[in-house]
Amino acid sequence: MTLIHLQELSKHFKILNRHEGLKGAFRDLFSTDFRTVRAVDGISFDIESGEIVGYIGPNGAGKSTTIKMMTGILKPTGGTLLVNGHSPYENRIHQAMIMGVVFGQRTQLWWDLPVIESFKILREVYKIEKKMFDAHLAMFDDLVGLKALFSQQVRTLSLGQRMLCDITASFLHNPQVVFLDEPTIGLDVSIKAKIRSVILELNRTRNTTIILTTHDLGDVQALCRRIIIIDKGKILYDGEIGKVTKLFGAYRTLKLQINDYSDATLAALREGLNGQFGVGCGTTIAQTEEFWTDVTVDQARTRLSDVLGYVMSNLSVADVRIVEISMEDVVRRVYDGALQ
Amino acid sequence: MRAYLAYLRGAVLVGMVYRLGFIFIVLGNVLYMIIAYFLWRSIYGGSASIHGLTFDQALLYVALGSTVFILLKTYADWGMAQEIRDGTVAVFLTKPIDYQFYTFFTNLGFPLTSLITVVAPTVILLVFVFRIHFAFGAGYFFFPVSLLLAFIISFHLDYLVGLSGFYTESIWGISITKEIIVSVLSGMLLPLQFFPAAIQQVLAWLPFQAMYFTPLMMVTKPDQGVGVYLAMLGVQIAWACVTFLLCRLVYGQAIKVLRVAGG
Amino acid sequence: MLSLGEYLRLYFYIEAQYIKAQMQYRADFFISSIGMFFSSLATLSIFVVLFNSIPNLAGWSLMEMVFIYAFYMVAISPMQILFDNIWWIRFHVQSGSFLKYYFRPMNMLFYYMSERFDIKGLTQLAVGIILLVYSSIQLKIEWSAAKLLLMPVAVFSASLVLIAIAVMAGSSAFWLVNSYPVLALSWRLREFAPYPLTIFDGIFRFVFTFILPIGFIAFYPAQFFLRPADISPLVYLTPVIGILLFALMYRVWTLGVNSYSGTGS
Repeated sequence: MTLIHLQELSKHFKILNRHEGLKGAFRDLFSTDFRTVRAVDGISFDIESGEIVGYIGPNGAGKSTTIKMMTGILKPTGGTLLVNGHSPYENRIHQAMIMGVVFGQRTQLWWDLPVIESFKILREVYKIEKKMFDAHLAMFDDLVGLKALFSQQVRTLSLGQRMLCDITASFLHNPQVVFLDEPTIGLDVSIKAKIRSVILELNRTRNTTIILTTHDLGDVQALCRRIIIIDKGKILYDGEIGKVTKLFGAYRTLKLQINDYSDATLAALREGLNGQFGVGCGTTIAQTEEFWTDVTVDQARTRLSDVLGYVMSNLSVADVRIVEISMEDVVRRVYDGALQ
Repeated sequence: MRAYLAYLRGAVLVGMVYRLGFIFIVLGNVLYMIIAYFLWRSIYGGSASIHGLTFDQALLYVALGSTVFILLKTYADWGMAQEIRDGTVAVFLTKPIDYQFYTFFTNLGFPLTSLITVVAPTVILLVFVFRIHFAFGAGYFFFPVSLLLAFIISFHLDYLVGLSGFYTESIWGISITKEIIVSVLSGMLLPLQFFPAAIQQVLAWLPFQAMYFTPLMMVTKPDQGVGVYLAMLGVQIAWACVTFLLCRLVYGQAIKVLRVAGG
Repeated sequence: MLSLGEYLRLYFYIEAQYIKAQMQYRADFFISSIGMFFSSLATLSIFVVLFNSIPNLAGWSLMEMVFIYAFYMVAISPMQILFDNIWWIRFHVQSGSFLKYYFRPMNMLFYYMSERFDIKGLTQLAVGIILLVYSSIQLKIEWSAAKLLLMPVAVFSASLVLIAIAVMAGSSAFWLVNSYPVLALSWRLREFAPYPLTIFDGIFRFVFTFILPIGFIAFYPAQFFLRPADISPLVYLTPVIGILLFALMYRVWTLGVNSYSGTGS
């Protein structure tokens, strides 16, 4: 059944135009010069029960704004929004019973109290039956050995442990939908794997709908079957993950620190690569950070090692890094029509 | 020196962004003055003068006291406690900047902006609404210098409280105790002439009155001899130096105890 | 959805756990209590010094002032102890961590305030009660059954007034970047609650009774016990004012909560 329904949903904000300098700051004290920002600009999609959807986009795209509307924090400016048949903003307390939210960096547990006390408080708040409560705790203990943390104060936990506890807390009351915002940020690989397997298991056994917002493409690949990309308040892509993974899997970026760098160097490099590998080689060059030149290679068309070899023998390179494609890059490519 | 001025400019700019905040500070001060007016009118009843102060002088003193409080109020102690707690203090230890001077100039920003936004309305109110008779005299010229010295001494005390953040998390208790002691013993709430003579003797040996009583008396009784004011400034300078040395000393000790958060 | 009884039970549970956790920091408890103790006695000491030079203040004797002051301390204790989290609202609102309060099926004001229980406020409450007893003995107040029963009512109503003022002031954080001066202003206001309102003339007495009702925090309710013979009908208004203000405060809080959007995109 359709759990979440969005139709032409919009959210506009009024922002004060600030001016520079001391004189400007003084003028701002009395200013009424506002501009309208369309954070979310007429988006539509439906999410069925049990789906795991990745909701991704660059910073400032409107992701958090949409989530805030879905969780009942913000009132939409226009359009329709129904979660479980109700408007979230009008029914906050009611909706909160069927929802779980995990924040990423900030814990929702009680900072000074032992973990188990936070869970017990939540049991009272959500009126969870003892049987379900115990069963859930047992399940999490099986999955990730949670019992060991019960008596520790939340403030003493490591980031990874806290995240596991926060995720546990969000599923305790068997919600219909869980919003996960950057759940694996700052965590090491082994904890990330644990968390991803927990999420998958919960989705499998309880059919919980999961909306995942993240910059971590590994999360997206491991968990989501469907991806919605949002940029500048509009939906860029809504569909199977397969098409998009081709984008990230295939690309690698060579970050180079080139000695004697100049605009001429960039142009020469471009010509050289085109000459060596052909104009349609799918390799792009950009200067995104100071001192670093990014050479992004489409591995489906050109071998990374070949490009690296060419660059090293034709330029004087002080330092080299190889990185996966970034979220920003993925979105830029989708925007430029890479999925057409 | 330029680095410190840059910090100051930054602080002033930040202060100006908070537009409505100013209005409330002014409002608060106005409210205080209204209450003080009625309170002291009751205190004086029909008397022309108590302990050598007329009603006009007493009201001027108390109203200015509240204004000076606003000018002297930095949150240096809280800012430092926060920097210690979240570890940013470690950043300063690596820069070629003196932590005390950095804290001083950063916290000078808001009081400077308050000079215009708070003091002006206060004076206007006193002169035109309450119709206080201002005697004029040499004291007025010494007042700005005295005020600056008062700020320095006040800052040093705040700094010392902030340094306690190296030793304990309970900065609130220490900060409030200091604030209470200062507000009572400095003559901020009540002119020191009202205190029993014995206590006045003791207070003369403490730095607190150099923060409020001294500068306030310069404006309340501005027609005493230049020599009197010079002497008052001298005492303030002495206290500024003593507290400065104290800050250096405690800082030296506190740094050794540095336990920085994070990891 | 929780019933009132369930909220109460939940509150006791949360605070019991919180106090247990806080008691581990004994040094902080002692230092804070000492600070609180000094803070309680500051204004009182000014009064005592002042009364060395004047016989009475607008017809009120020193001991009567002490009684009003003690009543004041007891009346502000619920605010101090139970609603302490309002001082952190600016921090929560600006860092975005305030968002977490939206996600639980609980009343947000309850949730927000339950996170902090100011143990050191108990020191102030204790000092207040002691002074109240002391001054009422010195003043030879006759405690009839009616008076004894009405004392908690008076204190409760008076406390609502301060809570309402403080939370409304704190709610300005939802709209203003620098809301701290508003809270600080409301705090300065309450400092004048122990002063007898008779020092004010007509228009200001009106202002401090009906517009910025600090008179109802201590002065008016205390009069019932100090000078029952010549109280104005205003004294009986205390509970009404308390409840009305609290309702207004709740409206303002709700408005603020609904207009908040967090930080970031």
